Amino acid sequence: MGDYGSRDMGGMRENGGGPGGRGPGGPRGGGPRAGGRRRFLFRRRKYCKFCEDKAQWVDYKDIRTLQNYIPERAKVLPRRISGTCATHQRQLMQAIKRARNLALIPFTSD
Amino acid sequence: MVRTYETVFITQPTLTDEEENAAVDALAAVVSDAGGVFTTKDRMGRRRLAYPIKKFEDGVYTRFLYDAKAEVPKELDRRLRITDKVIRHMTVCLEPDWAVAAKEQAVRDAEARAQAEAARAAGLLEEPAEEAPAKPRRDERDEDDVEFGDED
Repeated sequence: MGDYGSRDMGGMRENGGGPGGRGPGGPRGGGPRAGGRRRFLFRRRKYCKFCEDKAQWVDYKDIRTLQNYIPERAKVLPRRISGTCATHQRQLMQAIKRARNLALIPFTSD
Repeated sequence: MVRTYETVFITQPTLTDEEENAAVDALAAVVSDAGGVFTTKDRMGRRRLAYPIKKFEDGVYTRFLYDAKAEVPKELDRRLRITDKVIRHMTVCLEPDWAVAAKEQAVRDAEARAQAEAARAAGLLEEPAEEAPAKPRRDERDEDDVEFGDED
């Protein structure tokens, strides 16, 4: 019993330890990956146009302004693209929803 | 407590001017009778709807800006819903500081309109151009902003 036990243990250790040890120690080390890195040159800095205009609020009746934030499909232009600040994006969302209800701007367009 | 409310409603485009004025006056009376104080009763004019409402493709927009107690817009809302000349309506309670700005703007607009009216009467101005169509218009600066990825 003791013999079998120790032999089993030894076998386990060999099987487990051997390949397991080889895996992480492989030739692939850490480090910067070649390619995949993009350089952005001369990217214009985005800014919130409502803050720029010193606009106190986003008016739902002002369709000209709202049009800038609803591209072709009449969805709302995300903040990451327009650069609008969080406060104004929230107001903009509200204004767009109101304008949609009044049929000033479409819900969708195909 | 008196707050500033803004009500915009759309009336049927098929109404004659008299019918429309009668409907608007009746609704305005609801506000004034209940002690509401108007800043402006603005006829925003006829424009194409972004989508059809009750089979209508056009609509005449009217805007009320008034100070009143909370019961007033409630009653107005009820009346607007009953009136079948009105095809869509919405009331918004304005934040206090926005309300001030909105009122000032309304006064400025009224003055500008009065001046334009006077100028037109004097024959200095041609007929005002129609409101710009509701077509999606993309600015050039917008185009610049939509920049994804690779620019090496």
